[in-house]
Amino acid sequence: MLNGYGGSILRVNLTTGKISKEPTPPEVARDFIGGRGFGIYFLTKEVPKGTDPLGPENKLIISSGPLSGMLVAGGGKCDWTTKSPLTGGYASASLGGLFTAEMKYAGIDSIILEGISPKPVYLFIDDNKIELRDAAPYWGKGTFEVEKEFKEKFGEEYQIAVIGPGGENGVAFAHINHDYGRQAGRGGVGTVMGAKKVKAIVVHGTKSVPVADVDAYRQAGMALYKACKEAEGLKEWTRYGTTIVVSWCDEVGALPTRNFSAGSFEDGKNLYGTVMREQIVITDKGCFGCPCPCGKYSSMKRYGTHVEGPEYETIGMLGSNLGFTNIEDVAQANLLCDDLGIDTISAGGVIAWAIEAYTKGILTKADTDGLELSWGNPQAVFALIEKIAKKQGFGALLADGVKKAAQKVGKGSEKFAIHVKGMEQSAYATHNATAMLISYMTCDVGAHHNRAWAITYDLQVGRDKVVPEKVARVIWLQNFRPMFDVLGACRLQWVELGIDRKLYEPLLQAITGIPRTWEDLEAVGNRIWNLTRLYWARENEGFGRAWDMPSPRFYEEPPQSGATAGQITRLEDVNRLLDMYYEQRGWDANGMPTPATIEKLNLGAFVS
Amino acid sequence: MRLYVDNAKCSGCRACLVACSLNLFRESNPKKAALTLLPHFPAPGVYEMKVCTQCGDCARVCPTEAIKLNERGAYYVDYDECNLCEACVPECPESVMFVRTELANHAWKCDLCGDCVAVCGTGALWIAD
Amino acid sequence: MTAIFRPMGMLKQYIGGQAEVAVPAGRTIRQTMTAFDMPPEIAALVLVNDEQQSKDYVLQDGDVVKLMAVIGGG
Repeated sequence: MLNGYGGSILRVNLTTGKISKEPTPPEVARDFIGGRGFGIYFLTKEVPKGTDPLGPENKLIISSGPLSGMLVAGGGKCDWTTKSPLTGGYASASLGGLFTAEMKYAGIDSIILEGISPKPVYLFIDDNKIELRDAAPYWGKGTFEVEKEFKEKFGEEYQIAVIGPGGENGVAFAHINHDYGRQAGRGGVGTVMGAKKVKAIVVHGTKSVPVADVDAYRQAGMALYKACKEAEGLKEWTRYGTTIVVSWCDEVGALPTRNFSAGSFEDGKNLYGTVMREQIVITDKGCFGCPCPCGKYSSMKRYGTHVEGPEYETIGMLGSNLGFTNIEDVAQANLLCDDLGIDTISAGGVIAWAIEAYTKGILTKADTDGLELSWGNPQAVFALIEKIAKKQGFGALLADGVKKAAQKVGKGSEKFAIHVKGMEQSAYATHNATAMLISYMTCDVGAHHNRAWAITYDLQVGRDKVVPEKVARVIWLQNFRPMFDVLGACRLQWVELGIDRKLYEPLLQAITGIPRTWEDLEAVGNRIWNLTRLYWARENEGFGRAWDMPSPRFYEEPPQSGATAGQITRLEDVNRLLDMYYEQRGWDANGMPTPATIEKLNLGAFVS
Repeated sequence: MRLYVDNAKCSGCRACLVACSLNLFRESNPKKAALTLLPHFPAPGVYEMKVCTQCGDCARVCPTEAIKLNERGAYYVDYDECNLCEACVPECPESVMFVRTELANHAWKCDLCGDCVAVCGTGALWIAD
Repeated sequence: MTAIFRPMGMLKQYIGGQAEVAVPAGRTIRQTMTAFDMPPEIAALVLVNDEQQSKDYVLQDGDVVKLMAVIGGG
């Protein structure tokens, strides 16, 4: 019995229909712990080099962690790992809500989807009854409708993860929706699920999760809740969630505006968290076990609709980045993406590129199916979102992501395709914020902010400083923060409430029976980080330094307005940051882990 | 003394359910909790909780007198005395009298331990007269 | 004429680790922060009597000012 774990790995071969369970290997639990750790373990072990992300040999690995579903403040995250159809590299997306807990109660640590089903199916898990069922009645439907139908059919206790038409149609940045508003969002994890013809996963479990020491577990779990409840700022964080930073990012020049051409949006006041709270928010919606629910469930009177959100990222990418001035329009764009099943961040990134290309005359009405693209034009954006999800007309170009769209169109539009490694940059403008810049450049899935968020640090230390301390800080954050994804818990309780992270140590030990400090966990994090780097190199011919470079917008085009007007990072500093980063990571000048680093981290088996 | 809930503050996080099952069964299994969460989504988009009001209707109808008063003045199920007749279940006006034989071989209910209040981050739950 | 200045979390380091400090009214939030060597940019949220205000708000007698930094982000 593996304390703290569901106990089994569920394998679903969609080609043959064979479903099998094997006990979770204790040495994998020991070395990779869970969640994202299990994801990279199975990805590197079982998905052969050169696999087509949309082909039968790719796998989609969904993993809970030892803290999932337990008396843990924020024990509600599962990881979705695969080879990315968007970037051709490592994809790992984190899903909140209630799905991970239900997996644990069904006795499952990882679900591994293999092969391709000949017909649309959904995976049905009800304790030990596990079946592939016909999904023909649901194929083509939006995520909200399908989740509602399944809840009515099976009951409220059943948890649903579902793709929309975006995933079915192969949009490169399709996502998976759950609990009417939580997503496994980035990197095309929904695309892979759609390629495998899996419409949804339904899970229900009634088992209890074994723990090593029940009394110590209860005590440590209660202590963590107490610390969260007594945290200063709990009330404010809960009130606004991630929207708390919209006004501030605008003030400091981090709010992406008109395709990252600036970091402040002069017409953005109606996008602020305080305005949003007043105008559309009706419920603070929480993920499993969370004492500081950041979900803002909203009602848009203008459209007669509801959505969970928009989050900061969506307010940035589908708001200020597109020149939207009204929060209800952002919420509606958010809803369309959620229902159709495409990532709001990537959608905002590629649409912003298209608008800029249109305003520059690089794209014309002949290219856009007659759509007039302009900043602050919600109707055009709503139409684009539908076209993208259906891969219809102009939408088909955008559905491949901004890197490929810009490559196809050319005419200099590559210069304002804002991405790293093919993943559209998320909502922090980095014209002059060097810690955040190197964070985006080196993030292991592409330009995503969640590994190392460093904006306040940039402001404290000096935003344009290019010093080893900044790089060291980013590296530490990259080794530390993703460990929450490995443990199967949310990091925002620590991140936003400023609680003492040491509180997690006795809790983890009481659950698993294995003593681990954060230093131990960061060592695992460092190992995983290097393994994902080696994975990128294995899968991408010529992978190296050039792949870490940011969009030239951040070293060539100072904003004309806003808090960072006239400010830009110099290309030589971009390179200096990268050099320092490689050196501190133990990588060579091309960004490859050196043989000494590989040996020190015991990763030799992977490279051979 | 009894448990109260303000539905407007409930975020649907289920921390209360886990704390409750840990108290009643020493297990982490929200399906073995003694309060009920009813999500109303996608519309109107609110949560509703059902909690025991300590009305005593269950105790009055129990033929084996398995439902007793504890040191907190709250009704609880003495598991040894419960014979699973289920007479209590339909009596409960809040539907928080639980019998699920696949999960336990006795009924269970709220014993006013207060752990749900302790873990509720939004203050949706509290105990008062 | 004084207001209460209450930087939260890690911002307390700028007022010597205390929970709060009395400050003169009549100055802006920005000026008050600068007086404590606090870079104004660092506060993500400014609440005066629990309502969000900009850093150019002029402190009134009896105002309670809370400042929050976002250390960890999204």
